[in-house]
Amino acid sequence: MIRFIAKRLGSGLVVLFVVSALTFFLLYVSSGSIARNILGDQATAEQVAMKEQELGLDQPLPVRYFSWVADALGGNLGASWFTSEPVANSLATRIPVTMTMVFAAMILIAVCAALIGVIAAVKRGWVDRVVQVGAIIGDSIPGFVIGVILVTILAIQLGLFPATSTISPEAGPEAWVYSMSLPVIALLVNGVTGGAQQIRSAVIKQLERDYVRTLRSRGIGEREILFRHVLRSAAPAGLTVLSLQLIGMLGGVVIIEQIFALPGMGPLAVTATGQSDLPVVMGVVMYTVVVVIVVNLLVDILNGWLNPKVRVS
Amino acid sequence: MKLGPKTAAAALALSASLALTGCGGAANSGPAAAAPTALTLGTIQDVRSWDPAQAHVGHVLQPYQAVYDTLILREPDGKLSPMLATAWKYNAGNTKLTLDLRSDVTFSDGAKFDAEAAKANMDHFKTANGPQMAQLASVKDVTVVDADTIDVNLTAPDPALEYSLSQAAGLMGSPKALGTEGIKTEPVGSGPYVMDKAASVKDSQTVFTARKDYWNKDLQKYQKLTFKVLTDLTARTNALVSGQVDATLLDPKNGKQAEGAKMKLAANEVDWQGLLLLDREGAKNPALANVKVRQAINYAFDRKTILDQVMLGQGTPTSQPFGKASGAWMEELENYYAYDPAKAKQLLKEAGFEKGVILEIPSVPGFETQISVITQQLADVGITLKVGAALTNTYTADIAAQKFTTIFFSLFQGQPTVAMDQIVSTKALYNPFKNKTPELEAKIAAVRNGGADAGKLAQEVNKYVVVQAWFAPLFRVNQMYYHNSKVNVTPQIQQAVPSIYNYSPAK
Repeated sequence: MIRFIAKRLGSGLVVLFVVSALTFFLLYVSSGSIARNILGDQATAEQVAMKEQELGLDQPLPVRYFSWVADALGGNLGASWFTSEPVANSLATRIPVTMTMVFAAMILIAVCAALIGVIAAVKRGWVDRVVQVGAIIGDSIPGFVIGVILVTILAIQLGLFPATSTISPEAGPEAWVYSMSLPVIALLVNGVTGGAQQIRSAVIKQLERDYVRTLRSRGIGEREILFRHVLRSAAPAGLTVLSLQLIGMLGGVVIIEQIFALPGMGPLAVTATGQSDLPVVMGVVMYTVVVVIVVNLLVDILNGWLNPKVRVS
Repeated sequence: MKLGPKTAAAALALSASLALTGCGGAANSGPAAAAPTALTLGTIQDVRSWDPAQAHVGHVLQPYQAVYDTLILREPDGKLSPMLATAWKYNAGNTKLTLDLRSDVTFSDGAKFDAEAAKANMDHFKTANGPQMAQLASVKDVTVVDADTIDVNLTAPDPALEYSLSQAAGLMGSPKALGTEGIKTEPVGSGPYVMDKAASVKDSQTVFTARKDYWNKDLQKYQKLTFKVLTDLTARTNALVSGQVDATLLDPKNGKQAEGAKMKLAANEVDWQGLLLLDREGAKNPALANVKVRQAINYAFDRKTILDQVMLGQGTPTSQPFGKASGAWMEELENYYAYDPAKAKQLLKEAGFEKGVILEIPSVPGFETQISVITQQLADVGITLKVGAALTNTYTADIAAQKFTTIFFSLFQGQPTVAMDQIVSTKALYNPFKNKTPELEAKIAAVRNGGADAGKLAQEVNKYVVVQAWFAPLFRVNQMYYHNSKVNVTPQIQQAVPSIYNYSPAK
């Protein structure tokens, strides 16, 4: 298991390095006119030249990349070209907001999707059909539309929740709960319906297998078969779906955070890419890659723990 | 555990029912808001750096006014009044401006405001490479006359200087803090409010509290002032309608929702929208060198209809690029190019372009509707508009590099010299082909040396570029600034959002 984790970590680091290099070169190749962007449309040519020197844009690309890597290894991701705020600081204040939301949504998705999926697989009949129809509806409405609907009804008309985030240092934890409720619901609807579908088919597939018939013929109770054997075998499929959803959610969360004005990674990513604030864009890309690598690693470890066959392969 | 599926089920049921019924409807006022001693404003973006030399215009200037006083105060109607400077006067040649300063003002770090401090700020502004650095481009140096008097010496007369000292160039920071790293994240000024750093979060909200012993209580109308950063238009609308913010900038479409929720509008014309026919000498598109072609483009537009359809009528059709507040605006130029497709065709024929003209313009994010409407109206008179790839965030550099012969844009209408150096003179970014004629150069020089008559003299420049059809303006657009009934708001001339002095608790 240790070797397995070490191997995965090693390949993760290689991916991180390759992605960072690719992103850096792609971004910086087109960064010629960034100085004028920063100064706006009333700046003179002399000002632009001054700014370019200030940002070190007159250095050759490879030199800039290696100095970026050297700094990054020391935990210094540079500073925003627009605000001079250290990128590491921006990330440190924003990652908690986004991750709180994503993990709250994931836990709820896992629980709800498993419950709904198992019930649909075991009961079949009308229950199953309701779940199927619900899944199609839930899948076809984008998260941000659900977000807008939730705000209109629950925040503006009924005043139960704040329309935009009230998270701030002076507000207590209840502000977090209130501010996060609607965005998390908006995030999880797609995930629950999609996840329930996958778990349902995985459980049905397992229930039709020979070993289940054998267990039943030995007089073992339905409940024990379901929870001890079937779910364990169906888990890898469910976990894989969950991990894919979590990674997909990193995109969805950007729009949701914009609508709810949550100070998370989304607005930072949107603003930074819109302005070509390259040090910040690099920081956002690094964070995304790290999340993807960690999630995949966790899924593999969990799968290995649930199903020894995976470890061998 | 119990709660999860229920919530999910509720959300599912909710979304399903809404999908079927198509939800909408006006909103009621949301939860109860704070006492009237607090004001919360929804802003479009956070301040990049609190160094006063990095301040910009409009909604990028407003937050700075909370913590920094300016040398001169600009009233809502544009009149200049004393602030940190009690009086100011030019010498005979308009090359030296002498300012008398207050002697009873201290900065929030205890430093004293005096002539040395004012000089330090202006020196810093001239070298800090901020977005408005050009505001002091005409300043040769600043000399301290005595403890409360400075001379600002100019290389050439600059009619916009007094105005600039009420804007970014006039913001006064503590001389002890200028140039330090600290002032980038925490402002140190002499203004009515001080930043509450513990309660502020970058890109989310900035909180200010009233400063004790502020020298001008009339400008300090609230105990607490909060800027809530809401980049998303939908988020701004929701925050206003639900009572989270007291005032914010929307657009005509979202404004309808705000009006449904009984919000009040403080409208104000700040920008003009239209075509900039940049290649007036035909360097890349020979047709544009012919004034009749440029005039034909102007006659092709039914401005009133476009305004009504695209902007819900929020603005005024116009043929001139200079704004009402600049002094260069003229009644007779307002409708100079009335809608006349027959005349447009006639002019094209006279110019020898009977077979048609092709214009290439880039697409502009946010203006797709306008561009498609003018494409249609130009096609009706025989002008083909080829819309290329969208402007990217490097558009300013692309314009400067003469990449475009024509663009559609929305531009700020500033003071006469500011506007000239933005779109007309050879210094202007929006004159990338550096078009000029001796006649126009003379008119521009007259404005620069015009002192108090600059506005009047700029009418000549305005008239010249209208008759020569350097542009094809469509209309001035309203800035849709909405607020609730707890606050009175006076719009500020030439600003999309009011100055902070223009808000007061509603009685």
